[in-house]
Amino acid sequence: MASVSISSKEQYNFDVVRKFAIMTLVWGVVGMLAGVYIASELAWPFLNFDSPYISFGRLRPVHTGGVIFGFGGSALFATSYYVVQRTCQTRLISDALANFTFWGWQAVIVLAATSYILGFSQGREYAEMEWPIDILIEVVWIAYMIVFFGTVMRRKQPHIYVANWFYIAFILATALLHTFNNLAMPVNLFSMKSYSLFSGAQDAMTQWWYGHNAVGFFLTAAFLGMMYYFVPKQAGRPIYSYRLSIVHFWALSFLYMWVGSHHLHWTAIPDWTSTLAATFSIMLLLPSWGGMINGIMTLSGAWDKLRTDPIMRFLAVALSFYGMSTFEGPIMSLKDVNALSHYTDWTIGHVHSGALGWVAMITFGSFYHMIPKLWDTKLYSLRLVYWHFWLATIGILLYIIAMWISGIGQGVMWRTFDDFGNLKYAFAYTVEVVKPFYAMRAIGGMFFLSGVFIMVYNVWMTIGQAKREAAELDAKLAAKLARVGA
Amino acid sequence: MSKDKMQSQAVQTTGHAWDGDLQEYNNPLPRWWVWTFYLTILFAILYWIWFPAWPVAKGYTPGVGKITYVDAKGVAQTTHWNTRADLMREMNGLAAIQKPFFDKVAAQPYAAIAKDPELNNFIASAGNQLFADNCATCHQAGGQGKIGFFPNLADDDWLYGGQFDKIQETVTQGRRGYMPPFGEALSTAQIDQLANYVLSLSGEKMDAAKAETGKALFHSETAGCFYCHGDDARGRQVIGAPNLTDKIWLWANVPNADAPSIKLAAVKNVIQNGLNKGVMPAWGQRLTPEQIKVLTVYVHELGGGK
Amino acid sequence: MNFNFKHEWIETNVGLLLVLTMVAISIGGLVEIAPLFLIKNTVETVKDAKGLETIRPYTALESRGRDIYVREGCYTCHSQMIRPLKDEAVRYGHYSLAAESQYDHPFQWGSKRTGPDLARVGKKYSNEWQVQHLIAPRSMVPESVMPNYPWLLSTPLDTSDLVDRLRAQRAVGVPYSLTEIEYQNNVKRFGEAVAQQLHIPNAQQNLVKQAEEGNFDGDRSNITELDALIAYLQVLGTMVDFSQYDSDHFVTFR
Ligand code: HEC
Ligand code: HEC
Ligand code: HEC
Ligand code: HEM
Ligand code: HEM
Ligand SMILES: [Ca+2]
Ligand SMILES: [Ca+2]
Ligand SMILES: [Cu+2]
Repeated sequence: MASVSISSKEQYNFDVVRKFAIMTLVWGVVGMLAGVYIASELAWPFLNFDSPYISFGRLRPVHTGGVIFGFGGSALFATSYYVVQRTCQTRLISDALANFTFWGWQAVIVLAATSYILGFSQGREYAEMEWPIDILIEVVWIAYMIVFFGTVMRRKQPHIYVANWFYIAFILATALLHTFNNLAMPVNLFSMKSYSLFSGAQDAMTQWWYGHNAVGFFLTAAFLGMMYYFVPKQAGRPIYSYRLSIVHFWALSFLYMWVGSHHLHWTAIPDWTSTLAATFSIMLLLPSWGGMINGIMTLSGAWDKLRTDPIMRFLAVALSFYGMSTFEGPIMSLKDVNALSHYTDWTIGHVHSGALGWVAMITFGSFYHMIPKLWDTKLYSLRLVYWHFWLATIGILLYIIAMWISGIGQGVMWRTFDDFGNLKYAFAYTVEVVKPFYAMRAIGGMFFLSGVFIMVYNVWMTIGQAKREAAELDAKLAAKLARVGA
Repeated sequence: MSKDKMQSQAVQTTGHAWDGDLQEYNNPLPRWWVWTFYLTILFAILYWIWFPAWPVAKGYTPGVGKITYVDAKGVAQTTHWNTRADLMREMNGLAAIQKPFFDKVAAQPYAAIAKDPELNNFIASAGNQLFADNCATCHQAGGQGKIGFFPNLADDDWLYGGQFDKIQETVTQGRRGYMPPFGEALSTAQIDQLANYVLSLSGEKMDAAKAETGKALFHSETAGCFYCHGDDARGRQVIGAPNLTDKIWLWANVPNADAPSIKLAAVKNVIQNGLNKGVMPAWGQRLTPEQIKVLTVYVHELGGGK
Repeated sequence: MNFNFKHEWIETNVGLLLVLTMVAISIGGLVEIAPLFLIKNTVETVKDAKGLETIRPYTALESRGRDIYVREGCYTCHSQMIRPLKDEAVRYGHYSLAAESQYDHPFQWGSKRTGPDLARVGKKYSNEWQVQHLIAPRSMVPESVMPNYPWLLSTPLDTSDLVDRLRAQRAVGVPYSLTEIEYQNNVKRFGEAVAQQLHIPNAQQNLVKQAEEGNFDGDRSNITELDALIAYLQVLGTMVDFSQYDSDHFVTFR
């Protein structure tokens, strides 16, 4: 073990991976704490405490930014650097640039969260960061491209592993989307405030072209990259089908970019965009499932391990939720279904079956595999992984079930007419009806978050154990050397 | 990798390995997967044929789907499928249910409406919805109002009159109650006396001497309260000046105050600062005349309409 | 040709992989976004009987109010987009036109209705109600889960960079006028009274005047953030007089 580690320490830059891995957990805690808090604000509004800084409208982007870019982004940086080095058998091309992406990205998240709390927001979902932060993101992203693509170019093997295709698509798409969606005119050079270049219908289309693909490439394609490395590794089996990888990779990359306006069905945007979005969303179902099939079928040769290996459970459940939310999504993209689901908690339920079930679960599973390798030791406790697994699963179920009930409830109540052709329910009444489900969601979130705390503890103890082992090893070596020298 | 190898060993790995043991089988695409994918493409094509779909030149393909609706002039119109025409069609359906009722509401005088049981069922339903989404935010769910802000519509006291036509006027045009501040025109002592008098009108036990002086002031040119609230202090509905002799209060939080001193303070505050918050929005633009008529009956029923 | 054989090319060549991926991800956006700028009916033309455009940019005060709306994240709970659906027509009024948000940088259509749609909330309630509701929503609507916004009433409106804000919007295409020619142009488009409001050199003065006359927060002695926010809320959805058009007039744009 020790000898391997020494050589791989020289071979790979694990330092930056470790840093990103730790920050993934930090932002996971921060972002999900914010999630639990805003969930509680909706259930018990006094929690806004009349304070501008923690009022729901300002705290919500802290949550979304914290989990998507802080937690998800750091996890992607960590695993992409880990995977690209190992599958290309080469070190990152520049430690300095990689380090820059680390500090730059952390600065982005801290600045974004602080600026939201202080009231700086562009008012575009998931792109609320104001222009100076957008520029910083752009710079960090260019550095990321250089590091990642450069490392792929330096690979020792002619073939680029499929996980890297997905990371590449994610990096390119994010660059494209981020650049165009954030075009804006600052009030002046010393002001954080800016006005977006586009307005009204065109602005809506640009924003949701971005917004959907923040989902499509950031929260899906990139995490498929993660899946393609860690699932076969943990299962100890080859990927099920190379051909499926190819077909679903290209189909996904091509189709995703068309579906943004399924967030704008029935709005003032022309109907033709909406039709294209609906149809491309339906066509996305199978390519999305391609990833799930490849993952599940890879695991399926190792079903027996599911009983003994909680990490496998995380991966299997993540893939199931991935399959479920990519089934739900196309259904919600149909004009008539969306007429009901849009604006309701159903969307929020869908978001979190993807975000908690897929994004977070696949990250947890991958990290439980990767962290011991990074620190060159064994996981402190597998029992705690079990605990984490169950808390997370219960949390997700509470969350999603609550949102399905309240979401479909809202959708149906809003449009219920009585026999005389009059609306049956006042809006305020529907707010009252969903309150218990808001409480249930908050409790689900608490379950999920407590699982994350257990993970943090487990990782903390694992790192501590690794340090002790390293120290012992050093002592032994020193003793040996001393004896030899004497 | 050669072709023959591929074909002969379909379920072999591709022969590459990454990071030690990462490999790929070369299983064929699952049949059901391929066929379902084709099915979704077929679905998409049908959708494109039916709905507006592809941008071409300066327009788009409108699709073969059609919608027929009846426009405001009663003429049937047919157009390619689109969300707005779809709404027109849906609203035709809604009108089919509601028109008979609304026509009756429009045609009949209030007295007749009130006697028509079927129409009353309709009004209970329509009025309830209209009130809940438009009025309840101010006048509260049961119309009980909010002291200090919005008048109670469920009681027997009316600022502007509880007759059908008055209520209809209120809702259509909106109202703006205004009482000037007397803080500068009158001394603190005078205001105190007036307040004592006003409270005594509704049977509160007040300082009799002060109330007596207040009474004189009330009817004097100095204060001039009687101009608006009337010689008998029973209010004047033309300008929305309330009756001060009943136990029903809107602005001065008298009913909820337990100590006399608080009641006094509340009334003094009104006299001192005047009132300029009583704005009732006009609904003539937002609601149809029939809807307003429905609401009028509904509100009339809520309280002791006159 | 063997399928895998072809792909081998791509997956052994980073440059090719990058280029082809870039091509794959660029097409969708191009086909859907570019035509929105080119197809004329995307944004409806709305003119009154005299040929004047009734949908106008926000006044200085309203625009500052909109900034506050964005700052507080009201869009996280409120949509500003009434869809052409039966229940929304009954509950909220006429469906929103694209033209109604043509000066909105950024758009605020929203994606979640924790609270009701606000696209036509203008003039629905009195300023007094708005003040009280924003400070303490549950005092007006017991069921509400909306946060209290008391600081809006106690914070004076910052107008120090007002001109810069309007100029920045002008730079992205909102027809605020700086020069006499632009002003005259606006007179032709919107009429004299509106053109006055859109003239950047008068911005400060216009803002103060509107706040004092409108007295949105119920206190004339100062101009607060609440003055601006309520001025904005009170104009939402009021610029088109739908009674001027046939009920199916706007169908022709779709
Ligand atoms: C923004 C708040 C608000 C809304 C919304 C509102 N009202 Fe009012 N309403 C008032 C106020 C304030 C008054 C008292 C006006 C005054 O003091 O002069 C009033 C007065 C009235 C009166 C006269 C009461 C009397 O004693 O004479 C009637 C009737 C009434 N409202 C009905 C309605 C109906 C019906 C609706 C819904 C379509 C409605 N109101 C919506 C604020 C509101
Ligand atoms: C210009 C007309 C006018 C004059 C003069 C006037 N009032 Fe009023 N008063 C009103 C109106 C109108 C209201 C109701 C305001 C509303 O509904 O918005 C009112 C309300 C009140 C109320 C509150 C009633 C309640 O239900 O809480 C009191 C008390 C009162 N007036 C006392 C007085 C006294 C005492 C004077 C003389 C100093 C006076 N008013 C002079 C018009 C007037
Ligand atoms: C946590 C969610 C939330 C946030 C954030 C929020 N609201 Fe609300 N809002 C609601 C709910 C729920 C209602 C319905 C109940 C009520 O009237 O209070 C509402 C109602 C309203 C209404 C009345 C609409 C109508 O037609 O009755 C207005 C106006 C409004 N909000 C404005 C705002 C503004 C402006 C902001 C930002 C400064 C804001 N809201 C932030 C939840 C929210
Ligand atoms: C502890 C777990 C979590 C809780 C309690 C939680 C709670 C919430 C709440 C209350 C909202 C606002 C919903 C609304 O406006 O009605 C929200 C929105 C959102 N959350 Fe979470 N969240 C959690 C974890 C996550 C994670 C891990 C992710 C992503 C990886 C995520 C992504 C999002 C997104 C994208 C939205 C915006 C949804 C939309 O606008 O439609 N959340 N969350
Ligand atoms: C084929 C796959 C998918 C399709 C077609 C799809 C489709 C949709 C649709 C139709 C909506 C509702 C839009 C609305 O009415 O406002 C939506 C919302 C959303 N989806 Fe998906 N979805 C898919 C997969 C996923 C996955 C895997 C995630 C992972 C996290 C995800 C995250 C989200 C988020 C965050 C939103 C909320 C956006 C917002 O309103 O702020 N989706 N999706
Ligand atoms: Ca941004
Ligand atoms: Ca003021
Ligand atoms: Cu989407």
